[in-house]
Order: sequence, then C-alpha cells, then structure tokens
Amino acid sequence: MQLALEPELSRREETVRLGLWMFLATVAMLFAAFASAYLVRRGGSDWMRINLPPVLWLNTALLVAGSGALEAAHAVGARRRWLSASAACGVALALGVGFLLGQLVAWEQLLSAGVDMPESPHSSFFYMLTGAHALHVVAALGVMLWTGLLTWTGAGRRQPRRWAAAMHSTRTIWHFLLGVWLFVFALISLY
Amino acid sequence: MSHAATTVPGHDQSHPELGFIRRYVFSLDHKVIGIQYIVTGLLMALVGAALATLIRLQLGWPERTWPLLAQLLPKGYAGGVMAPEFYLAVVTMHGTIMVFFFMSYVLVSGFGNYLVPLQVGARDMAFPLANMLSFWIGALSALLMIASFFVEGGAAAAGWTAYPPLSAVATAVPGSGMGQTIWLLSMAFFIASFTLSGLNIVATVFSVRAPGMSMWRMPLTVWSYFIASILGLLAFPALTAAAVMLLFDRHAGTSFFLPAGLVVGGRHLTNSGGSPLLWQHLFWFLGHPEVYVLILPALGIACDIIPAFTRKPIFGYRLSVWCLVAVGALSMVVWGHHMFVSGMSPFTGEYFSIATMTITLPMTVFGVNMLASLRGGAIRMGVPMMFSCAVLALFGSGGLGGLYLGNATADMQLTDTYFVVGHFHMMIGGVTLMATFGGLHYWFPKMFGRMMNETIGKAHFWLTFTPFFIIFFMQHFLGIQGAPRRYYAFTAYDFLRETRIQNLVVSSCAMVLIASQSLFVVNFVWSLFRGAPAADNPWEATTLEWTTSSPPPHDNFGQAELTVHRWPYEYGVESGDRDFADQRVPPGRVPVTA
Ligand code: HEM
Ligand SMILES: [Cu+2]
Repeated sequence: MQLALEPELSRREETVRLGLWMFLATVAMLFAAFASAYLVRRGGSDWMRINLPPVLWLNTALLVAGSGALEAAHAVGARRRWLSASAACGVALALGVGFLLGQLVAWEQLLSAGVDMPESPHSSFFYMLTGAHALHVVAALGVMLWTGLLTWTGAGRRQPRRWAAAMHSTRTIWHFLLGVWLFVFALISLY
Repeated sequence: MSHAATTVPGHDQSHPELGFIRRYVFSLDHKVIGIQYIVTGLLMALVGAALATLIRLQLGWPERTWPLLAQLLPKGYAGGVMAPEFYLAVVTMHGTIMVFFFMSYVLVSGFGNYLVPLQVGARDMAFPLANMLSFWIGALSALLMIASFFVEGGAAAAGWTAYPPLSAVATAVPGSGMGQTIWLLSMAFFIASFTLSGLNIVATVFSVRAPGMSMWRMPLTVWSYFIASILGLLAFPALTAAAVMLLFDRHAGTSFFLPAGLVVGGRHLTNSGGSPLLWQHLFWFLGHPEVYVLILPALGIACDIIPAFTRKPIFGYRLSVWCLVAVGALSMVVWGHHMFVSGMSPFTGEYFSIATMTITLPMTVFGVNMLASLRGGAIRMGVPMMFSCAVLALFGSGGLGGLYLGNATADMQLTDTYFVVGHFHMMIGGVTLMATFGGLHYWFPKMFGRMMNETIGKAHFWLTFTPFFIIFFMQHFLGIQGAPRRYYAFTAYDFLRETRIQNLVVSSCAMVLIASQSLFVVNFVWSLFRGAPAADNPWEATTLEWTTSSPPPHDNFGQAELTVHRWPYEYGVESGDRDFADQRVPPGRVPVTA
C-alpha cells in the first residue's frame, strides 16, 4: 500500500504547518532587515569589495543536493521503503554537515588571506550573513536528525502520519533555508 | 464541521493531578502562563515606577540633596546629588522596562494568553509547550535587564531607543559598557519570547476556534490581539538584525553604525563609513509597530468592557475591525515620522507625514465608534467602565498631540521636547495603563474567583487618572516652551528657569500618582484572599469566558459541548429576565442580531 503523498490534514497538522510558516516569515523578515541594511550601507564611501572564496559555489551545490536528497527520502518513504528512506536521510544529513564545513572553509580561507570581519563593510556583512544563515542551518539539521531517527528506528513505519508530518516540516525548513541562501549569496556576490 | 476536527490540544489528553511545579511553575496551561506574565509585568512595573520617582525627584527639586538615596544608591547619588550618568541610565531603563517588560508582558502576553483561547472557545493555546518556553525566556530576559543595574558602569544609558554612537561605543558613557551589552542580549531574549507567544496567538485564532466561532464572531479583544501579534511577528526581526549588528560594532570592530571621524573621550576611533541613521530606520521599523502592538489590545479590551456596562452592543463592530486591520497595515509604513529631523529628504518627509496623517483616519473612526457606543446606554459606572472611559479620554488627547507631531513642519519644532514625552505617555503610557487596570478589575473575578473591592477601586481610579492627565497634559506645554527631553539639569538654561513651577507641579502629581498605586496593590492582594466570591458571570457579559466557571477548569469549558451561535455583543435583547445573550445561546431562544 502506498501512503498518499499529501494525506488529508488533521486540524492539528494544519495548525503546525501554519505555525511553521509564520515562524519562517519572521526569519524572512530578519534576512530582509539585514538585506535592507546591506543596501543602505552599500552606499557608504568606504565600501570595498572582497573576493568571495569560490568554495561558496560548492557549498551551494551541497545545499541544493541536500534538498534533493530530502525529496528522495520523502518519495521513497511514502512508498514505505524505509531502508532507502533512511539512507536518503543520512545522505541529506551528510550534505548539510558538508555545507556547514564548507562555510567554515570559506571563513578560514578569507581569514588566512587577512580579510577579517572589520576589514571592510562587505566582509562584515559576509561574515554576519553567512553566520546567521549557518545558525539557522544548524537548527534545521537538528530537525532533520529527528526525522532521520524516526525513519531509521522504524517509528515512522509504526506511525506513518507522524512521520509524514515530521518529513513535511523538515523539507519546508530546508528548502526555505536554501532559498534564503540563494538570496544571500546573490546579494553579496552581485551587489 | 465534524466533531473530531474540533478537538484541540489539551482536550483529549486526560489530566492526571499535576504536582505544584507542573501546575504553577512550569505550567502548560495558558491561564496560568497568562497570570505568570501578568504578575511578572506588575512586578516590573514597580521597578519602572521607582525609576520614575527618581526622575521626577531630580526634575522637581533640582538642587536638593538626598541623603537617604545616597545611602541606598551610593554610586548614583554620591554626596546626595544625582549623577548625570545615573540620570541617563534611569531614564533609559524606565522606558525600556515600561514598554517592553510591563506593558508588553501584562497587556499583550499576559491578557493575550489568558483571554484569547477562552474567548475563541479553545481548550488551550495551539502550542502549549512553546507558550511555556515563551514565558521562561521572557522571565530570563526581565532578570537580565534588572541585573544590568549591578554590572560595572551600571545600566544602559542610551535611551530606550539605544541610538548609536552612544550605544555603540563602549567608552562613551559608563552605561555604554557592560550595561548596554546586557541590554542588547536581554532584548534578544525578549524578542524570542514575544515571537513564541505571538506565533501562538495567531495560530490559536486561525485554527483552534470553537465550532461556530467565525472570524466575524470574534470579540474585538481577540481581533486586536490577532492583529497586534501579526504586527509583532513582522516587525520585531528588524530589531533583532539591528541588535546583532550593534553587538558586532561594539565587540568585533565593525562599522555598521559608526561613522568616520568620531572622537570619544579624546580618543579618535578608527571606524569609518557607518551610518547611525541606519539604526534609527531599523529601530523605528520595529518601534512604531510596537507602539501599536501595545495600544491595539488596550483598545480591544476597552471595547469589550464598554458594552457590558452600557448594556448595548458596541457601535460599528465590523467597521472597527476594518479599522484595526488598516491601522495594522499602515503602522508598518510610517516609521520615518520619528526621524523628521534626521536630514531626510523633504520628499521622504512629506511621504511619512502623509502616511502618518492617513493612519489617524482609521484611528479616529475607531475612537468615534467607541464614543458612539456610550450614547444612549444605561451606563453602569463600575470600576472597569471608569478605566475604559479614561482609555477614551487619553486616546483622544494623545492622538491630538500626534497630529501635530505627524506634521513634519510642526515636528521640527516639537521633536525631542517634552511635547513628545507628553504625547507618548498619554498613548503608550496612559491608554495602556488604564486598559490594564480596567482589564484587571474586569477579569480578576474570572482569574481568581473573587471580586476586587469597588470602593478602593474607585479611589484608585481618581487618584490615578487625575494626576496622570495633569502630568502629561502639562508636559505638552513644557514642550511648546522648548523644554528638551532627557535633560538632567534644566536649571542650567536661562530660558527654562521659568518652567520651574511647572516642573514642581508635574513632580508633585507624579508623587501622588505613584503613591496611590499602593491602593491597587492592597486591593489586588487583599481581594485575592478576602474578596467577595465571584459568580461565573458577574458583569452579565456575553463572551465565552463568562460561560464557564470562575476560575475556569484546566480545559476551560469542562465536558460541555461548545458551539457558538452569535456575535459577541448581544446586549439589550429579551432573554427571560436578562437583557443579554451569551455567544452560546442558540438562535431558537433569542433571535440572533448579528
Ligand atoms: C494619532 C495617531 C498618532 C500620530 C499621528 C503619532 C505621531 C507621532 C510622531 C510624529 C512621533 C515622533 C515625534 C518626534 O520624535 O519628533 C511620535 C512619537 C511617539 N509616539 Fe505617536 N502618534 C500617534 C499615535 C501613537 C500611539 C497610538 C502610540 C502608542 C501606543 C504612540 C506612541 C509614540 C511613542 C512611544 C513615541 C515616542 C518615541 C520616542 O521618541 O521615544 N503614538 N508619535
Ligand atoms: Cu510612530
């Protein structure tokens, strides 16, 4: 038997989704505030561009791949292939951790090139925006770990609705943070 | 709607006897959390009032020495004379505590938690665990804020608006050091706590209403919390962002807000290119909506009290709801009116003036609806009603001052004077304070099962409203005479010497105002233990919280099936020997009018 990908939601599940989206709206407002500060500060006479480390492209790819792995985990889990789903969750987790490590590498490269936070407004924003985003990714990895454990321990098999809800939250959060990252990356590299 | 779909969290679980800790300390019950918030907020109000006393002592009797205070506060009052830096810290903390830790806690998180689930017919908030976290993070943030008085250099001194460079350069004034850092951290916790409780309120209103409780059947109180919470959720992140940047400026050497060429204490700072105005934009993007986050619930509460005491429906319910929506939306785009003299382009100033004038329209319509609700009613002058009338009076007077300030040309003259202080105390201080007292008298019986004392209540009302009005009415005139706000020693300026007597009157009234709050404290505590037992519906009101026992059981409505049949203002109808029908009375018994 196949689980419907989008089963009819209970009142409770709808409430959780709503709460999640409202929370993500506040996160969006946070980054919007940072971005507007960036735009204002960009006009300052002392603005000096820094060279962004190319590893950021790799990190972006890892984040995108993480989203893909989560989608795969969702799809196979819905067909009750729990082993594959666990594996896909594991891959997504690894990609997420890889992203964070990659961001650390980027920081490390900049620092060893002598570009620290106060170096220029551009670098200040770079560290702050990547840092703020990374903190959100850490939290998202926590949620992902939880869903992965549900899948792996068989709790998802016994309580498919609970699994589906956890999976939905994880995907929403992860894709959202991917969106935020693409926005941040575009902002700091293009403007 | 199927029955299963109406179960809400907290209802289907059985409630075994919980121990004291789970029931009253780490409780998940929205009623307990609401009361925890209210009590915390009231305690913070005492701190805020003590600070106000210090401010007014200084301004009323500028050349007196205070030996007693010198003993109590040896650093702030060395030699019995208030230190100027201490004055700044006191003003800053008074504003911060009153706005964020008194009003936000009591009025928004406190009453919001207590009332919203009861009034929409839910058994608890949508996310009880997040709700408990919200309170404890909030309590932590309040403790941090208080603790900042005791650190090296004392509490923050850059004003409740924390403008850089004073807030960004750790060596600027003593309070710019550790005190400011703690201030920022505490605000970060505050925002986290407020976000959790805001999410809860919005989700509860959206999705855990009782069957039959359509949006158009929600009391105005619920509407006001709903809109205020959305506003808070959208506006607060701006301050989070600003606080993060400020922390980096302070501790990591960045120049987000610090311009080039600053000399502080004879030392030339190496910062360059930052913009202090950027902070002002971010702060006021939060700050202006925040004032509406506070005033909307105050107005909502008054709108629910008034009909119960005039025995007729509120006037223009739907129009009032639309006004709330309009005010909420507009309040996000008027922040620049706090920055008219910041050197913005005249066109931007013109825009912010026009937007600000626009927002007075729905506000005025809302106020007129409240006034019209009084007309032709058989008014019962209970204490909650007296405070609600005071809400109206202060709302009208404060709004009038707002009209002058919202006009950029007039504001050039009036900004940073006591005119602004008078204006915002009438609004964010007065309207909210009167609604808080009105609400406490009104819902006290529901919360604790006892009535508060009417006689003390009335004495407290007159001894609060009268001095309050005199103080802040007079401050408008001080402002017109050019008296700048936040000055520590106005006697140092020739042109202000004549304001001496006025300041004396203001300070004397302030002492009466603050002293008479002891009446409230006595009434509150005494009534908790000795008040007359309250009936379930002592005010003969119509909203859902009055249909359950006082205090309500853990799941709010017991086993009873809960269905809503009508709007919340069914007053002045024939219903047996009663003149009202609560929201649960079916249409067969009393015709539904809306
Ligand atoms: C009739 C609608 C209102 C108008 C047109 C209005 C306009 C203004 C303007 C233009 C200022 C800036 C004055 C200056 O700094 O030069 C101001 C300050 C302020 N207003 Fe209002 N206002 C209105 C209603 C309210 C309400 C409802 C509240 C609060 C509940 C409020 C709270 C404040 C506060 C707290 C400040 C001062 C902040 C500070 O500088 O410390 N106002 N108002
Ligand atoms: Cu404003």
